[in-house]
Amino acid sequence: MKGTTGAPRRFVKVAVAALLFAAPAHAQTDVTLRGFVDVGSQSFAAQRSFDAVLGGTRGPVFGGGVEVVLPQQIFVSLRASRFRRTGQRVFAFNNELFNLGIPVTVTIAPVELIGGYRFNYRSRLVPYAGAGVGWHRYDETSEFADANENVTDRFTGFHVLGGTELRIARWIGTAFDVEWATVPHAIGDHPNSVSREFRESNLGGVTVRVKLIVGR
Amino acid sequence: MNVAPRIGARVFAFAIAMAWLATVVTEHAQLTPSYALLVSETAPAAVDRGVRDLDPPRRPRTDMTSPTVDDAEPFVRGSVIVRFRAGTSVEARRALLARVDGTAAAPPSYAPFDMVSIDPSADPEAVARRLDAQPDVEYAQARYRVYPRFTPNDPQYSRQWNYPAIDMERAWDINPGATPSVTVAVLDSGVAFRSGIMRYNAGEFQFFAGRQLGPTFPALGPIDVPFAAAPDLGGPERFVSPRDFIWETTNPFDLDGHGTHVSGTVGQLTNNGVGVAGMAFNVRIMPVKVIAGFWDLVFSSPQVGTDDLVARGIRYAVDNGAKVINMSIGRSGPSAPVVHEAIAYAVSRGAFVAVAGGNDFEDGNAIERFADFATDIEGMVAVGAVGRDGQRAFYSNTGAYIELAAPGGNSRVGGTSGGILQQTFDFDLVDTFLLGPAQFRAPRFDVFAYDFLQGTSMATPHVAGFAALLMQQGVTSPAAVEAVMKRYATDLGPPGRDDAYGYGLINPRGSLRGLGLAR
Repeated sequence: MKGTTGAPRRFVKVAVAALLFAAPAHAQTDVTLRGFVDVGSQSFAAQRSFDAVLGGTRGPVFGGGVEVVLPQQIFVSLRASRFRRTGQRVFAFNNELFNLGIPVTVTIAPVELIGGYRFNYRSRLVPYAGAGVGWHRYDETSEFADANENVTDRFTGFHVLGGTELRIARWIGTAFDVEWATVPHAIGDHPNSVSREFRESNLGGVTVRVKLIVGR
Repeated sequence: MNVAPRIGARVFAFAIAMAWLATVVTEHAQLTPSYALLVSETAPAAVDRGVRDLDPPRRPRTDMTSPTVDDAEPFVRGSVIVRFRAGTSVEARRALLARVDGTAAAPPSYAPFDMVSIDPSADPEAVARRLDAQPDVEYAQARYRVYPRFTPNDPQYSRQWNYPAIDMERAWDINPGATPSVTVAVLDSGVAFRSGIMRYNAGEFQFFAGRQLGPTFPALGPIDVPFAAAPDLGGPERFVSPRDFIWETTNPFDLDGHGTHVSGTVGQLTNNGVGVAGMAFNVRIMPVKVIAGFWDLVFSSPQVGTDDLVARGIRYAVDNGAKVINMSIGRSGPSAPVVHEAIAYAVSRGAFVAVAGGNDFEDGNAIERFADFATDIEGMVAVGAVGRDGQRAFYSNTGAYIELAAPGGNSRVGGTSGGILQQTFDFDLVDTFLLGPAQFRAPRFDVFAYDFLQGTSMATPHVAGFAALLMQQGVTSPAAVEAVMKRYATDLGPPGRDDAYGYGLINPRGSLRGLGLAR
């Protein structure tokens, strides 16, 4: 027999069983508090800049938070996440990039407040959508830098997201969502920035992530 | 004898030699048999007379490394530094440290403070702040990393104002002198790159300046002239593919001192406890002799240094692996398309070219040939000179072709020590013609001293050495090297590019750092 091997088949069976036997989403008759952790991949809007310095336009994001679900199918969540990657400083000239071998580490840590609406809450699959505001801490440190040559700054951005939650068990759920964020005028104004070279200033981007939810 | 500044003497000697060259050399060359025989591969050891009256060398540094920093944190995790106030009891100390889950270890020697171990995952800055706020604590701080600020231990380094002027110590932190993988060709009067004894025939000659005949110097006949490698330039491994286009040999002995001085600024051995420092002190140097010195002419060299030789030298250099070419040479008069073509060829083959901007500002400021090609060749720059005051040196040409400025020295600002200090020959034993016909004698090229010279010749090797650092750092395209130099140059004079400083004073440290994502 060709096709799936043992491990994927087992995963499919477990998933099907979870769909069949999991409790339906809790009827929203009172306020519930849930916690979640997530892992995702962010694709940055400043693609050329991130690609030049960090060697890629996307990277892993790890986060978590708490969420309050109200009886009116409205949810409010507070989420913190972190992206961190080390690349190297560069020089750009005539569309050619020269890597200088000087390590530079970029850390982006947003705290986001999200409000949204959960559709079809009686099903095991609960689509949801939301929007919110985020406060993004941006750190950039380079080897050989003086203190004033490193960056620690905070920017405000906005985002919208949508996704679907799947109840796996009574207290456990998972979700997949996509978020689009904009953090305008965050980078690209310093003469020593490749983002200025490429005329890119937005620190936002698109993030796809998977969440593990604990709570009803 | 001390290390006498010789700017005036050099200028005088050069002027006399050039005047004489223009009028008499051809006639005498026809009369004097010309030969240059290497009669011995070895010679007495070089004599370095340059440091004997100076400060004793400082203790060499034992650690010039810059360890990699994990996660680029400015501190070391797992411990903090705490200084308790006198009289704080052991119990009180323990209680304080318990608040941060810290434990004190035995104090290290020469340390009136405690090293407190903390959880490696804890933020040492936050822990230190908490402790620092306690009344029993005099101070507490994280263990911040200290980086070397490379200051060469070469005993004469303190007299080299030119390197601090362009922030080289911090640039060397980033790139400590490039590596031997980068070769810098010095197209000049040769370099004191090896030892040997050469036999020349020195015929009679007469100085001739303008329409004025000078004294006649007697023929010395066949003489054996000793040469030695400049001690502070390093051993034979420093030099690759030497070539002499004046004598058409592979022994480009320097019979002038100019090329040796220039080579020193490019790559003098540095942090070796001897003499002075150079810009890119780990590169290999390719000595390519394309101009004749005074003694070459006295010895009736078959060539005197012309555009064609320069062009050949450029092509030779790049075809033999030079990544950077230093040309502290030039002339006025008509253009030199043969050299233009050669430089364009060099750049097309991946070599960056630095050319002196000229020293004739007060003599009519004529267009400096070779340098003037800088306006239409990307990957070549023409270099003007500044003094230790950061202003254009009085002699430094101005013009549309000046693209960058570098320290070249200015004796009108700071006197003779306002020049650029490097090792070259002891000119007392070279310029014997300055003593007059009665004391005129054979030169020696195996005795060295440290001399202050000035000129765009001295400024140019700063740029060539800088280019070698950039090449080593990863900017491998000559045009990109030029672009990064211009971009980070420190603007001088009127805002923006101008004819005196070009885009400004070179800024090696800023250039080597390049661009971050946001800063």
